[in-house]
Amino acid sequence: MNLSDIAIVGVGLTPQQKRSDRNSLQVALDAAKLALADAGLSHTDLDGIAARWPGPGGTVLAPGSADWSTLLGVPLDWIGDSYPQGVPALVDAAGAILTGQATTVLITGGQAGVLGGGRVAAYTQPGNEFVAPFGAFTSAHFALVAQRHLARHPHARQGMAEIAASIRNVGSVNPEAVMAGRGPYTADDILAAPPIVDPFTLLDLCLASEGGAAVIVTTLERARDLPHPPIVVLGAGMEWLRQQYVDPARYEQTWTIGASAARKAFAQAGIGPSDVDVAQLYDVNSLEVARQFEALGFCGPGEGTDFALATGIGLDGKLPTCTDGGLLACSHIGWGGPTLKLVEAVRQLRGECGDRQVAGAEVAIASGAGSGAQYYNLALLGRAR
Amino acid sequence: MSTSGLTEDFWTAVGRRELVRPVCGDCGRNFFTPQVACPACLSENWTYETSDGRGRVYSATVVHKPPSPGFAVPFRLGIVDLDEGWSMLAELVGGPGERLPAIDAPVHVTWIEREGRVLPAFTEDIS
Repeated sequence: MNLSDIAIVGVGLTPQQKRSDRNSLQVALDAAKLALADAGLSHTDLDGIAARWPGPGGTVLAPGSADWSTLLGVPLDWIGDSYPQGVPALVDAAGAILTGQATTVLITGGQAGVLGGGRVAAYTQPGNEFVAPFGAFTSAHFALVAQRHLARHPHARQGMAEIAASIRNVGSVNPEAVMAGRGPYTADDILAAPPIVDPFTLLDLCLASEGGAAVIVTTLERARDLPHPPIVVLGAGMEWLRQQYVDPARYEQTWTIGASAARKAFAQAGIGPSDVDVAQLYDVNSLEVARQFEALGFCGPGEGTDFALATGIGLDGKLPTCTDGGLLACSHIGWGGPTLKLVEAVRQLRGECGDRQVAGAEVAIASGAGSGAQYYNLALLGRAR
Repeated sequence: MSTSGLTEDFWTAVGRRELVRPVCGDCGRNFFTPQVACPACLSENWTYETSDGRGRVYSATVVHKPPSPGFAVPFRLGIVDLDEGWSMLAELVGGPGERLPAIDAPVHVTWIEREGRVLPAFTEDIS
């Protein structure tokens, strides 16, 4: 078996909300049940799990952590305490399956009952002793990268606003999005929103919301017997430059993070950026979308915002991007946020997105993390042939 | 706020308004944040040495939303590259017109107090 013999066969998304009345474990379990039902599988079919949520202890081993094998009522053969979720968990799961450690793996997570009250979401406040005293929440780390980019490319500020408006307008028409029905937005609306940390306004930045997301991963062979068209992993790549949010991100090192991961993933898939039909890029802020177009090879250095505008990243554009409204307008559920990118990529490739469906989508990219976080990952997904 | 054994001496020095940084005794590399071993040669033979606190702004921003109670907004945040070859995150205070220093603007260390605790900060030099 190769990586492209690994398939995503089920996806689950709980209601995405600003505040949920459930807790993190409950939404992770809710999402798992939805993904299993979508896959036409029972929890007793699972023999592996890669879960993560902002609870204590991790997935299974430490006292006080969630005990998934007990919770699911099935002994598991493999546990991956994937941090974070999304693509790294998918790669972990693929590795477990390819090495014969598991056949059917659940990836689930999210957050609920944890937001509210604070000035910024607690998980965005790094506790490190060389960060916390200076008030550098996560968006500030991205801002320090962005400020250096904008000093060289000041015109990118307008492009950032256009990107944010485009993604938010997609979220506006997704009934599952936290920001459903809000908008439409213009670039001027983005620029005029309250400033949070220069250059970002409130509308340049992602949400902090609550909900769960899950996917089920198995072999293509098993997938062929299941209800939905199998979506296979064409390629994947990851980069780990440095632990996030401790030593500040340096622009010259982090602006291109993802370039080598993308080269690896595209080489594995035997395709190039021009073959991508939908881009579920990790949009923690508007500039990160442009940055990824550059780093991943969709355009040249410094051309990210121009590429987005010229190509069109809305549903009617040539490269529809963040087609659920992304982290900006659909949802961002903490450690489970990266899994949202897999869910939307799979839904688009299956062709089940209704009003927001991108016609003929055959290859999708899903990514996670970014420059300010100092790590990055992406996967290329496609319909099985 | 937790301080590990590696970093106690840094904060003790800060308490007496002295900025220090790890310097490798084997290869001479300056580095920050403190690590078990020098990131250039992996030697554990490093010591804290006093910094002259002079450097240049690598990047800077204005924070408009308080990350937690105790922060008055707006405030200025920057990455400073010290002349000795290391860098750190810190608040930017005072300076000409209390403006946001440009990239590469020269700065020097100063000291602020927040919630009874001394912290290093940097001020743009008067040109």
